[in-house]
Amino acid sequence: MTPAPFLEVKKASVAYGATTVLEGIDLAIAKGEFVALLGSSGCGKTTLLRTIAGFVKPVAGTISVAGRDVTRLPPDKRGMALVFQSYALWPHMTVAQNIGYGLKLRRQPADAIARRVAEMEALLGLTGLSRRKPAQLSGGQRQRVALGRALAIDPEILLLDEPLSNLDARIRLSVRHEIRALQRRLGITAVHVTHDREEAMVMADRIVILDGGRIAQAGTPEEVYNRPVSSFVAAFMGAENCVSLAGRVTGGHFAIAAGPTNAPCTVPLAGRPLVDGPVVARFRAEAATLVPADDASAKPEGTLVLSGRVESASYPGGHWRHAVVVGPDTVLVDAPAAFAPNTAVKVCVPPQALFLFSPAGAETAKAGPSAYKSNKASELAGA
Amino acid sequence: MSKRLLGLILVLPALATITLLFLVPLAASIIGAFEIEGSYGLGNFDKAFALYSQDILFTVVIVSLSTAIIGLVAIAIGGYLTLGENTLAVSILRWLYRWPLFIPFIVVGQVLRTFLAKNGMMNNTLVSLGVITPLEATSFLDWRGIVIAFVWKQAPFVALLVSGAMASLDRGTIEAARNLGASRLRILVEIVVPQVATTLIVGLVLSFVTMMSVLSVPLMINAQSPTMITADIAFRLNAYRDYGVANALGLISLLITASVAWIYLKHNVRSQA
Repeated sequence: MTPAPFLEVKKASVAYGATTVLEGIDLAIAKGEFVALLGSSGCGKTTLLRTIAGFVKPVAGTISVAGRDVTRLPPDKRGMALVFQSYALWPHMTVAQNIGYGLKLRRQPADAIARRVAEMEALLGLTGLSRRKPAQLSGGQRQRVALGRALAIDPEILLLDEPLSNLDARIRLSVRHEIRALQRRLGITAVHVTHDREEAMVMADRIVILDGGRIAQAGTPEEVYNRPVSSFVAAFMGAENCVSLAGRVTGGHFAIAAGPTNAPCTVPLAGRPLVDGPVVARFRAEAATLVPADDASAKPEGTLVLSGRVESASYPGGHWRHAVVVGPDTVLVDAPAAFAPNTAVKVCVPPQALFLFSPAGAETAKAGPSAYKSNKASELAGA
Repeated sequence: MSKRLLGLILVLPALATITLLFLVPLAASIIGAFEIEGSYGLGNFDKAFALYSQDILFTVVIVSLSTAIIGLVAIAIGGYLTLGENTLAVSILRWLYRWPLFIPFIVVGQVLRTFLAKNGMMNNTLVSLGVITPLEATSFLDWRGIVIAFVWKQAPFVALLVSGAMASLDRGTIEAARNLGASRLRILVEIVVPQVATTLIVGLVLSFVTMMSVLSVPLMINAQSPTMITADIAFRLNAYRDYGVANALGLISLLITASVAWIYLKHNVRSQA
């Protein structure tokens, strides 16, 4: 991790009444870093952002900026500016008044405010709109005014609460890049809350995935995408296909036992904390390939082959997406050409795209009767 | 065509009620204001202004002053309910401030009469606390008493409307200002009040009209001259059966409230443009 974190959250817990929203959050963010807090609604990501901003007081833990404890400081004494999901522009003020308000509060002279406002408008492409009221602006323009209002006071840390969720899908794509480019240019530290995986991937240096008030995984987009540490993270990062397998650890490999719908194969362990017994296997629709059931060509070493039957096919663009019934499960698999419904097929998943997870608590119950039981279960499943 | 007829029949009872119970009496009263012993003219108005111009001015000043104070009190109450950080104080205020809404004007007059009199509860308390000596005690049963009664009765009503509007504001607009370092007073004045201005003005216009029509408070608190138009109208009717001057005074009072309503309409149109 980075040597000297600029913004640091240590063991922060937040509760609303008796409900714990965040529990023991540890997060260190370097100066100039762009971090995305990613999670589904209710996971606590906005609460974490509001805790950092100072609108929510943690019941335990600290928040510090450049080594200075700011946990008990009011929101305006933390050197942070928050961009709200609703933009929260003041409807009775013009664009220029909205952007300049923070400077007015800092008792800056009127000409200095006007200069800074003009600078912000130029930076954000709002020139010529300074006399308009927010109601007369488009969604994208409002969003930029909100950004300008936050940036005008020259904050050290920019906090973004789902700033793109109210924009049209097309504008959203370009604004992503605009915000990212602006953040790089200003060298500002940014924390961005989103529930959009792709948005987090494209914008952030580092992604923090939250689940039920805890950090499920934190890492670069490449890490969380290719090396998810839990079934939840894998699913959240798009590996929605899920099948149950069983196997045992042999040296540096995990040997997947033959099952009713799969052939045996051996995949590298690659440091994964797997244990003998049942595992959950996850993979992405685009990472697997589909071949006819009678295809006998050799597959690369370690490929998991599942037998199934095509249920339906649709064309989302670029490729055909098939729903394939594999035993009790249905998986989605992409293929360049369509397979007719009811065709018997094989789903081939290369080892690097196959995410395996032992059930929670399996590591601690490795030895003894439970291991026997899980072996028994896999035998039953194989029978 | 038959559908149209059916629609007309359906609204007829409502239309008839409004015509018979509201429009006809109003028209009769307006016409009556110009009627002098069978002929028409401005004689009633001459008489009304000659006798009561001071009372008309008194009424306008008293009601305007009360409206201004009501606005300030309502903003203060609504502001504290919206921005207050002491949750106990906020819930106590929320529970308390509405009580005067359920007390009729005549009871307000009666309560304040015993409270504000020279030997009333307020002065007795102040004397027993040593704040004033018995000789310094003065009666508040004059224009000040009317203003206090009006504010006491109407401020909760406007506060109810205003705090409702404040509660439905996007909290983000308040937090964004806090985030940039605005004090609570600045947030109230520069962020919250401008956003609820329309509701505030509606509440104040309605209060103004209500206060213009209250008879019991001036009669009970300020039974002296100058007094309010309502007391004069009652006096003209009860003592002299002088419907002409009473109607003229009524029309003057109607014109005053109409001008306030016009300010409201103008503001409403501008804010929608």
